[in-house]
Amino acid sequence: MLTHYSIAALAALLALGLALVALALAHRRSAPAPQLREAWTSYRFGYATYALIFLAFDMEMIFMYPWAVVFAELGIKAFLDMLVFIGLLLAGIAYAWGCGALRWE
Amino acid sequence: MSTALLQWLAFALFAAIAIAGALGMATTMSMFRSGVFLMASFVGVAGLFVLLLADLLAWLQVMMYVGGMLVMILFMVLFSHDPGGAMMSEMPGLRGPERFFSLGLRAPSHEGGGSDHGGHAMPQMDMSMTTPLRRFAVVLAALAFVALAALLLLRPAWRQLDAMPAADSAHRVGELLMGKYMAAFEGAGLLILLGIFGSVYLARPSAHPGSAARERLQAAAADAPVDVAEAGDPRELQR
Amino acid sequence: MGVGLAVLWTLLLALAGSALVAAIEPHRLGHGNEPGPAAELRTLPWRRSRRPDRWLHGAAPVVALIALAWAVLILPFGRELIGADLGIGLFYFLVVVDILLLAVALGGWGADTADAVECCYRVIAQLVAYVVPLGLAVIGPAMMARSLSTVDIVEAQARAGLWYVVAQPLGFALFVAAGLMQSYRAPFLEPFAQRLQQAMLASYAPPLRALWRVALSGLLFVVAAMGATLFLGGYAGPWLPGWAWMLLKTLAMIVLMLGLGRCFALRSSAQMLALSWKLLIPLGLLNVLVVGALILLGVGQGAFR
Repeated sequence: MLTHYSIAALAALLALGLALVALALAHRRSAPAPQLREAWTSYRFGYATYALIFLAFDMEMIFMYPWAVVFAELGIKAFLDMLVFIGLLLAGIAYAWGCGALRWE
Repeated sequence: MSTALLQWLAFALFAAIAIAGALGMATTMSMFRSGVFLMASFVGVAGLFVLLLADLLAWLQVMMYVGGMLVMILFMVLFSHDPGGAMMSEMPGLRGPERFFSLGLRAPSHEGGGSDHGGHAMPQMDMSMTTPLRRFAVVLAALAFVALAALLLLRPAWRQLDAMPAADSAHRVGELLMGKYMAAFEGAGLLILLGIFGSVYLARPSAHPGSAARERLQAAAADAPVDVAEAGDPRELQR
Repeated sequence: MGVGLAVLWTLLLALAGSALVAAIEPHRLGHGNEPGPAAELRTLPWRRSRRPDRWLHGAAPVVALIALAWAVLILPFGRELIGADLGIGLFYFLVVVDILLLAVALGGWGADTADAVECCYRVIAQLVAYVVPLGLAVIGPAMMARSLSTVDIVEAQARAGLWYVVAQPLGFALFVAAGLMQSYRAPFLEPFAQRLQQAMLASYAPPLRALWRVALSGLLFVVAAMGATLFLGGYAGPWLPGWAWMLLKTLAMIVLMLGLGRCFALRSSAQMLALSWKLLIPLGLLNVLVVGALILLGVGQGAFR
C-alpha cells in the first residue's frame, strides 16, 4: 500500500513542480494597476441550513462506505441495519423539508 | 534510500505540517486562512494515518475536514467583521508567528497609501494583536507538551505486536461496524438525526420574525435566484 | 508499472484528458452555447484588486493541479494500466474531487474582488449540493462489486457479464446529474456564470489561467472516466484493447453529460440546492436500498459464485 501512496506523493510533487513553474512565469509578468475594490466583508449567504444538514450527511456517508463493501457477504441482516439508518436520515430530510428549512434565503 | 529512511522522512514531513497548520490556525489574522490552516493540519494527520496503513481513515479524515472546514469558514465569514484579515494584518503590533502567518495579506506599500479602514478604526477598538496572557499560554502549552512526552517516554513497557495492520481497511472496518460496533453505528445515525433536528429547529424562519433586514433580503432573493447571467450584486464595482 | 512510470503516466493522462475535454467542449461564448468554465481565457483582461490574499491566491492553482493528478491516479485503463490501484480507490476519488473544489474556492477568495468572492460562495454551495448525491450514486457499484477498488469494480462487471448501468439505472442517472453539478457544466453553471468566471479567472496572470484550464477541463474528464468505470464496464470489452474501450466509453460519457446538460435551462444556485436536497438525495437513499435488494436477489453476483 505504501508504494501506491508514494506514487501519489511523487505525482503530487511533480504537479507541484509544474505549478511552481507556472507561478514563476506569472511572477515575471508585470501586474496591471489594481482596478477592483476589495470585498472581504461580512457576507450573508442563503444556504446556511443546507450547509448544516450537509455536515450531518457527510458523516452519514462515512458510515455507508465500509458497510457497502461488506454488505453482500452479510446478507439481509446488514440490509435491515442500513434500512434503519436510511430511515433515520429520510426522517431528518422530511423534518427539514416540512419545517421549510430547505430553501435559499 | 532505504524504506525506513523514507518512512522517517515522511513522518517528519507530515508531523511538521500538522504542527505548522495548528500554529497557523491559532495565530493568523485572517479567518479564512485559519480554516484553511486547520484543514492543512488535518491533512498532515491523515498522512500519519497513511503511514500506519490506515488509508480509509486517512481519507475519511480529509473528507470530513475539507467539507466541514469550508462550511465553518462560511459561518465565520457570516459573523466576523474582518474575515479576510486585511484590516487586522495592517495593524503595527504584529510579531512572531502572527506576523508570519499573516504575510501576504497586506497591500504592497507602494500602491496607495494605507488601507481605508485602519486609520479611523483604531482609536475606537482595542484590537491588541497579542493578549497579555500570551506568554502565560505559551508556558502552559510547553508544560503540557513536556508532561505528555514524559508520559510517553517514561512508560514502563510498550507492547509490541508482530502482526501487520490489515491492508484491506474497508473490509475490516465494515465487518467491525456490522459486528462489534453495531450499536455505535445506529447510535451515530440517531445522533446525526438529532443534529439535523437541532439545526433546523434553531434556524427555522418563524423564530426570527419581523426583522426589517431579513424582509428586504427575502424580497431581493425572490427575484435574484433566476438571474444567472447577471447575478444581482449589492456591492458596487469600481472599474 | 514501476513507480516512475506510474507517476509519468498520471501526469500525462491528466494533461491528455484535459486536452480531450477542451477539444470537445464549445469554447466560444455564444448564443445558446454555454461554454465550459474555462473558455476564452486568452482574451480576458487581467484585473485584480489592490490586496489579494497572496498565499491563498497563489496556492489555489497548485492545489487544483495536485488534486487533478491525484484523481487521475485511480482511473483504470487496463488491469495493469493504472497509476495506483488503491484499495479504497472510489472513496479516495470522492475526496480528491472535493479538494479540487476547495482549490477553486481558495482562488475565488484569494482574488478579493466582489465577483470572485461571490464565486467562492457559489462554489461552496455547489459542494453542499453535489457531494451527498454523488456519494450515494457511486455506492451502488461498490456494493455490487464488494470493493472500493476501481480495478475490482471493472473486473466484477466483466465476470458478471453485466454493465452496472443496466442493473442500476437510477444510480447512473444520479451520477450524471451529480457529476454535472460537480464539474460546473450546464445546467449547473452558476458559479462560473460569465461575470463570476471572468472575475476569478481574470485575477490570475495568463500562465496560471492555463493551469486552471487544465484543472477545470480535467475535472469533467475525471468524472466521465469514473462514470465509464463504474457503470459502463471500464476497460473490459471483446475485440479492442482495454485502453481503447476505456477511451471510447469515457468519450461517450463526456458527450452524454454535455449533451444532456444542454437540454435543460440554466439553474441558479438556489434551484440547484433545492433539486439536490429535495429530489436527488431521497432518490439516492432509495437507490441504496434498491441496489441492496437487487444484490440480495442475486443480480450482478455472477462474479462471486
